[in-house]
Amino acid sequence: MNRAAANSKGTGMTTPTGEKSSVDLNRFNEVFFEECAENLAEMEQILISLGDREPDHEEMNAIFRAAHSIKGGAGIFGFQDMTVVTHVMESLLDRLRNRETPFVPAMIDLFLEAGDAIAMQLAWHREGKAVDQEAIDRVRAKLQQAIEAGAPALEPPVEPEQGSPAPHEEELLPRRCRLAFTPDPEIFARGIRMESIISELTELAEPGEFACSARLMELPDLPELDPERCITCWEFTLLTRASREQVLDVFMFVADEEQLTIEEEPVDRRGPAEEPAPEETLLAPAGRRAYDSSEAAPGAFGRRGGEAESSIRVNVTKVDQLVNEVGELLITQAMLSQIVAGLDPVLHQALQRGLTQLERNTRDLQASVMSIRLVPISIVFNRFPRLVREMAAKLGKQVELKTVGESTELDRGLIERIADPLGHLVRNALDHGLESPERRVSCGKSPVGTLQLSASQVGGRIVVDVTDDGAGLNRGKILAKAVECGIPCSESMSDEEVWQLIFAPGFSTASEVTDLSGRGVGMDVVLKNVQAIGGRVQIASEAGRGARFTISLPLTLAILEGLSVAVGAEKFIIPLNVVLESLQPTAEQLKSVNGREVVQVRGEYLPILKLHRIFNLEAEVTEPQLGILVLVDADGERGAIMVDALLDEQQVVVKSIETNYRRVEGSAGATILGDGRVALILDIPELFTMHKRL
Amino acid sequence: MQTAQGNAVQQLAAEAASEYLTFTLGSESYGIDILKVQEIRGYDCVTRIANTPLFIKGVINLRGVIVPIIDLRIKFNVGEATYHEFTVVIIINVLNKVVGIVVDGVSDVVALPAQSIKPPPELGASLDTRYITGLGTLNDEMLILVDIEKLIGSDELQIVESAVEDTQKGAVNQ
Repeated sequence: MNRAAANSKGTGMTTPTGEKSSVDLNRFNEVFFEECAENLAEMEQILISLGDREPDHEEMNAIFRAAHSIKGGAGIFGFQDMTVVTHVMESLLDRLRNRETPFVPAMIDLFLEAGDAIAMQLAWHREGKAVDQEAIDRVRAKLQQAIEAGAPALEPPVEPEQGSPAPHEEELLPRRCRLAFTPDPEIFARGIRMESIISELTELAEPGEFACSARLMELPDLPELDPERCITCWEFTLLTRASREQVLDVFMFVADEEQLTIEEEPVDRRGPAEEPAPEETLLAPAGRRAYDSSEAAPGAFGRRGGEAESSIRVNVTKVDQLVNEVGELLITQAMLSQIVAGLDPVLHQALQRGLTQLERNTRDLQASVMSIRLVPISIVFNRFPRLVREMAAKLGKQVELKTVGESTELDRGLIERIADPLGHLVRNALDHGLESPERRVSCGKSPVGTLQLSASQVGGRIVVDVTDDGAGLNRGKILAKAVECGIPCSESMSDEEVWQLIFAPGFSTASEVTDLSGRGVGMDVVLKNVQAIGGRVQIASEAGRGARFTISLPLTLAILEGLSVAVGAEKFIIPLNVVLESLQPTAEQLKSVNGREVVQVRGEYLPILKLHRIFNLEAEVTEPQLGILVLVDADGERGAIMVDALLDEQQVVVKSIETNYRRVEGSAGATILGDGRVALILDIPELFTMHKRL
Repeated sequence: MQTAQGNAVQQLAAEAASEYLTFTLGSESYGIDILKVQEIRGYDCVTRIANTPLFIKGVINLRGVIVPIIDLRIKFNVGEATYHEFTVVIIINVLNKVVGIVVDGVSDVVALPAQSIKPPPELGASLDTRYITGLGTLNDEMLILVDIEKLIGSDELQIVESAVEDTQKGAVNQ
């Protein structure tokens, strides 16, 4: 981040075309927003993990680093309003770190609140959401208060990182640094300019205490002299109060370790360094340069380069493109296999072997590429500690949140859409499931309730459980409420059927509407959202022992298990999760009701949906007893789809038709078959509607 | 950014001479802005889509992207809609959509100076004059210049779900 500041400054100097750089800046804004959101999340995570304990040195530094990066970034990108809260927050953190202000547990809530304020400002810049300025001022005042409460009023809390004498005094004592820098000859080719290094060092140095000399390492003959090669080495001598890291930071991305030597010798001629502070403030007024030169934030700058880069930020569209291209490769490979299958195996043995190898490689490649889209579910789980903490406090309940299997991976698209339903289940469990501590004790349970979130992969699906050890679902109450809401039910229903009642629209057993849950738009929305991504919700409950809500999801939205069927010359894909069975009906099974053909299967009459009639195709088979009926169940509605033949059961990559065309009725998308042709994926509920219109 | 640059390029070109891809529909010659053309390919493997107008031939797989194919000959009643190995599909990229149009043949890429383009007559070609930007003359032959973006975005073709909305968006983007 800091480096970016230096760079943007650099380009600003060389190309003073304001317009151009503002366009560039807009592109960087998005990067800042994302980074800022990440920093906020990281900070929140650390704060929550603390509970009420005082952060240790590492954690404190991590929080500081997050706040610092946000402030630095906000300053660089010109979001001055965002620097206000972060600045005060940073000041307080700095004082805590230097033990000038004692830690009190309330500060954690204060920092969380500050994080919210920053998030609000971020949302304003990013999406234009309204900002509650009062709340921001309030947080700021509270932070300011905390700073003042901890410190005697002798120093104004402005720029405390410069004004306050820190305990690590040796860092602040001026030292004479002698740096010898032998750049590699290609340094100019990398776009590095010595004058910017010199100017950065000048800013680190005490005023007037900087000297620099250059000497030639070698002098090639004139014909061999390449002006773009660096043949000088440099020596800098400066008196500085900056830490060794800060000096090294100047050379980050410029020099390797072996190219730089630093000799330091302390200088005793000055006392504790309070005196020069105002000068420096004058030199580097509050603003972006202030961070670069005079802030002791260990690790804040080194983070980019220091920690090994374990991940990179890639645009999702690029990943999707990669997935597409690998899909294409698979199709090409399938095509080649088809051609080779027609060749004489004796003559083309080598070719076949090569092709088998290619097939294996492409499958591996596909699996790897698919895994790029997968992200750990911890991203969602991490949102809940805070929610639980706050809700438990509001409800006066004691809750312990456990998470299991956070590293379970699922598709990025699913992660985003599972968060809301999960949040709802967690809120429900806290509000309705877990009892108050007194109640728990009287039931012989520990006063602290347990809420467990667990994720695991079972077969081709991801299973997420929300388990609480509360009172469980109340059968009598649910039935009474269902009657009240006019939902059909009866006393003789099994427990499982009763639990399903809570998914009915408008159902809520909470006796009064709270702001936490209980508006009665809960469970049906949960069910709808989960179903929309191909998932299911199951409930298990035992009175007095607790309840478990299980969401099971497909691994990815991009791939679908399908049954490919033929109708005339066309091929269609029926999603496998709706298929019950397929059969060739006998004449006795076929009946007619009101002129509509139905098939009798095990006492049930199912309407026959003739695909060729719905889609106006020329089919080879028009009579049901000659074709094949695929029995399907979509959202409880059953039917038999009539096709010419069943072809294959395969995994298909789901493609959007809408990207370049409009929605096609009766199809949930399209896919590309092994022969390179497009096949439509059938949308069964819509087929039922189309069938009824015929 | 990209569109801004594209527009700038277009403007520059318009000042000097615009380049057009010319193709034939029946016996008439047409031209479309070359910058809207993505590629040209043969006609094959079209998957039909049910309950669509006849001129929508269906969709194809263009390197993993599903692309609709429109036969302008059917839509505008010119020539005969026959399909053989010389039938050509022009893949165009307009309104953030990739669409293929079937034509009888692609002829050439020509540069037409702006002053040589005449406004369209009231009733000239089989194509509605709304979609014609002008008539160009090339080697004594008339060239009908088509506003392909307007055509693809029109309600008539039903390619864009809500044509009005999208053209508005396009206007804002410009």
